[in-house]
Amino acid sequence: MKFTFLKALGTSAAISLMAASSAWSTECIAPANPGGGWDFTCRQIGKILFDIGQVDAPVQVTNMAGAGGGLAFSTVVAERNTDADLIVAASSATTTRLAQKAFGDATADQVRFVGAIGGDPGVIVVAKDSPFQTLGDMVEAIKADPASVAFAGGSAAGGFDHMKPLMVLKAAGFDDITAVKYIGVDGGADAITQTVGGFTQAMTGDMSEIVGFIKSGEVRALAVLTEERVPGFEDIPTAKEQGFDVVAVNWRGLYVPGGISDADFQKWADRLQAVADSAEWKEAMAANGLAPFTKVGGDFQSWIDEVIAQTEDLSREIGVIQ
Amino acid sequence: MKTDRIFGVVVILVALAFIVSAYNLPAGNIFDKLGPKAFPIIVGIGMILSAAMLVIKPDPEPDWPALPTLLALGLATVVLVGYAYALKPLGFLLPTAIAAAILSYQITPKRVPAMLTGLGLSVALFVIFKYALGLSLLALPRGMMG
Amino acid sequence: MDLFSNLALGFGVALSPMTLFLAVVGCFLGTIIGALPGLGPSNGVAILIPITFSLGLDATAALVLLTSVYYGAMYGGRISSILLNIPGDEPAMMTTLDGYPMAKNGRAGDALVISGVASFVGALLATLALALVAPYLARIAYKFGPAEYFALYALAFATLGGMASNNQAKAALASFIGLAIALIGLDNNSGFTRFTGGNLHLSDGVDFLVAIVGLFAVSEVFVFIETHGKSSAVGVTLGKVTVPWKDLWETRWTMLRSSAVGFVAGILPGAGASLGSFMTYMMEKGIAGEKGGFGTGVAKGVAAPEAGNNAAAGGALVPMLTLGVPGSGTTAVLLAVLMTLNITPGPTLFTDRPDVVWGLIASLLIANFVLLAMNVPMVKVFVKILMVPPAILLPGVTMISFVGIYSLSGSYFDLVLMIAFGVMGYAFRKMDIPTVPVILGILLGYQMENNLRHAMTLSGGEWTYLFSSPIASVLWVAAILGFFAPIFLRRFLKKPQLTED
Repeated sequence: MKFTFLKALGTSAAISLMAASSAWSTECIAPANPGGGWDFTCRQIGKILFDIGQVDAPVQVTNMAGAGGGLAFSTVVAERNTDADLIVAASSATTTRLAQKAFGDATADQVRFVGAIGGDPGVIVVAKDSPFQTLGDMVEAIKADPASVAFAGGSAAGGFDHMKPLMVLKAAGFDDITAVKYIGVDGGADAITQTVGGFTQAMTGDMSEIVGFIKSGEVRALAVLTEERVPGFEDIPTAKEQGFDVVAVNWRGLYVPGGISDADFQKWADRLQAVADSAEWKEAMAANGLAPFTKVGGDFQSWIDEVIAQTEDLSREIGVIQ
Repeated sequence: MKTDRIFGVVVILVALAFIVSAYNLPAGNIFDKLGPKAFPIIVGIGMILSAAMLVIKPDPEPDWPALPTLLALGLATVVLVGYAYALKPLGFLLPTAIAAAILSYQITPKRVPAMLTGLGLSVALFVIFKYALGLSLLALPRGMMG
Repeated sequence: MDLFSNLALGFGVALSPMTLFLAVVGCFLGTIIGALPGLGPSNGVAILIPITFSLGLDATAALVLLTSVYYGAMYGGRISSILLNIPGDEPAMMTTLDGYPMAKNGRAGDALVISGVASFVGALLATLALALVAPYLARIAYKFGPAEYFALYALAFATLGGMASNNQAKAALASFIGLAIALIGLDNNSGFTRFTGGNLHLSDGVDFLVAIVGLFAVSEVFVFIETHGKSSAVGVTLGKVTVPWKDLWETRWTMLRSSAVGFVAGILPGAGASLGSFMTYMMEKGIAGEKGGFGTGVAKGVAAPEAGNNAAAGGALVPMLTLGVPGSGTTAVLLAVLMTLNITPGPTLFTDRPDVVWGLIASLLIANFVLLAMNVPMVKVFVKILMVPPAILLPGVTMISFVGIYSLSGSYFDLVLMIAFGVMGYAFRKMDIPTVPVILGILLGYQMENNLRHAMTLSGGEWTYLFSSPIASVLWVAAILGFFAPIFLRRFLKKPQLTED
């Protein structure tokens, strides 16, 4: 239904765009449809920025869907490069796509990454009646017959959700990763529906996408891809403790236009830190299955560069890029 | 007869171009068995088959309007395209008044009512969109807004 | 009984003066938005999101306002379908088929009342069904994998063959053209851009709304210029508006059946209200048979799609609330509202936040009565629109279409594309090629291809997978019957009445 989505968003996008020209408020671009992670980031951070007095007017959220975030990225680079009142929601998907050259010639250094203030831990989930009890069971089954387990995820093939099980398999010493089936559906909930329905054997996604389903008992999480177990979900084991050293967290954060001054960049870093420290944000994280994951300012930029380099390597290996 | 046949042939040519374009797309892989080319080719073949039916069994000739009417339709199209390009630089009020007046005149050729229609519509719609629905339209060219 | 205590809780929330006020405002705005060509329920809801947040409404109030707009738009969509032959939104497309001929026959008032009551019946039953069975019904979605969805879409196209045109080849051609248009743009699965001819504006595909407004609204202007407003839409005469009790009584089973089918169609994620109104219309057309006169302006042809699409609007809330899977574009926007309000939809929503769920359901019930009052006694207000001469109305409709599309993307390109669709719509009408299948193709193409590709990926390229489940097989059999039965019947029965798209 991309067309119906588009028209929905488009309207709010156009309105906000026009409103922004009156320069009465900060604008946050969510480079996707309402309802997704980027939209959440913009709306939550925007709301909290205003609630805790970091900005004087409510933050205007613009949904600018297109090319998996590429439209927003190129618009910011081309048209808003010096706009100090603009923030853009970003996540692992942003860096994954930059690494895979999915935004055309765009490169990560054309914008400035302000920081991440929360992370949506990667998870691997099966239906409640699945024969797999541990991540190990699944890895063994795939080793025996790579075609026997199909994954569903909310990102396209080669996207972050697809990478997660492949990273686990590589960590398990299984190298024929291109033989593993994966379908990229329209979001985590769809992926779970397909898995519960038995059309795929496992779902790969983010913690926030599975919270409701875990609570209702329709799916079981085999592993969470974090260093430590996630607060509030202590019964889900990490991949690491099951012997697969993989950490994959879909961080939630912001980038700002590349042409703004260092002072403005620092101002945004401070504001973002203030949001991260706020009780409201902690509450919002807890309610949405986000784990604390705060990296703000200069550190974040160097961490991003590293992540992009890693993603490039894995993408090349599975043939997503040459 | 003739229209259906010509249209059928045009569609077949377009569909062939569509298929050729699809054919040059990469094949699928394990993550995407069909790849980006298969479904377009199926659709292209469907277009060719149904268009071929039109060529083989055309319906009676449609009732096309006479040349002056066709010219009027062409003018209307030009006005609409012009309107599309004028909306942003010239603001809402002026282009809307002009385009609405021309269209109104084309439907019912009376000068004064057409001009009043143009004026009335442009002001009324502006008020509705701007104040009732909250769309941020520009009334006049940006330069004139100060 | 749980239901009653739940509803009592809901009405406790919904019957506050503020909530009631918001429901009325939402219904009114929604009806107008739905009636305006180019502004549909999802736009309506999207436009109001920023307002809702700047008003500082709480979760329930915001949801009540926005869902009232949603329901209101579903009601309002029928008005321009009937009066102008221009659907106010996608699901109201089917209402043009009989609503407009009825209006041309001088029964605009009747058509509006019948469709208003049908909308009420559909929406009311769907809301009740939502309350009763939401947690259970949502599980149907689990039965639909890629193969089942693909078969479902195939069914939708196949049955289109028997509709809107006397020539099945032309209906099929229109469907394929729509599908081809849907394939233009970036292919999410492979990252390749297809059929854009290097045009950047096309890389995100052709917006469904641009196509529908072009094909329906802009082409109408051309028809009017050709005919100078004679023998077309605005020649509709207005009789005395009375409640056509006889028609209402005669359509009672149509309304009930359509409500049930529409509700189920709405539940299927992505299928939404358009499919609901389409399926109900085709079903009733099939039941009525040749003698039913569908397409010539019969009451059942108006009642079926309106009951169907309003029931589907209710149905679409089921997967949204219980699974977080939107059943339509509008519910996707509503989902965003929920997330912003920190409400996680999911199977647990009904137990964790009963105030929100039941408050919403109760206010939907209230909104329905408000909408019935607005849409039946006030029907004259809307019919008055017809008294406006075409030389004012048509330019007005065109300008509204332009602003609607312009507010979506702010791009000249979309406007020009819309005009191109307008020219295409005019030519297709002349050639008796139905435009509805084009729209359906554009609407479903993306999902149809994705599901086919997913099915093939899962099966390792085994085509038989498409027919491997009982649900898929049944859908395929229905699709084949739906496509061939009209040809067969046409040969042995008399030629059906020529219908307009």
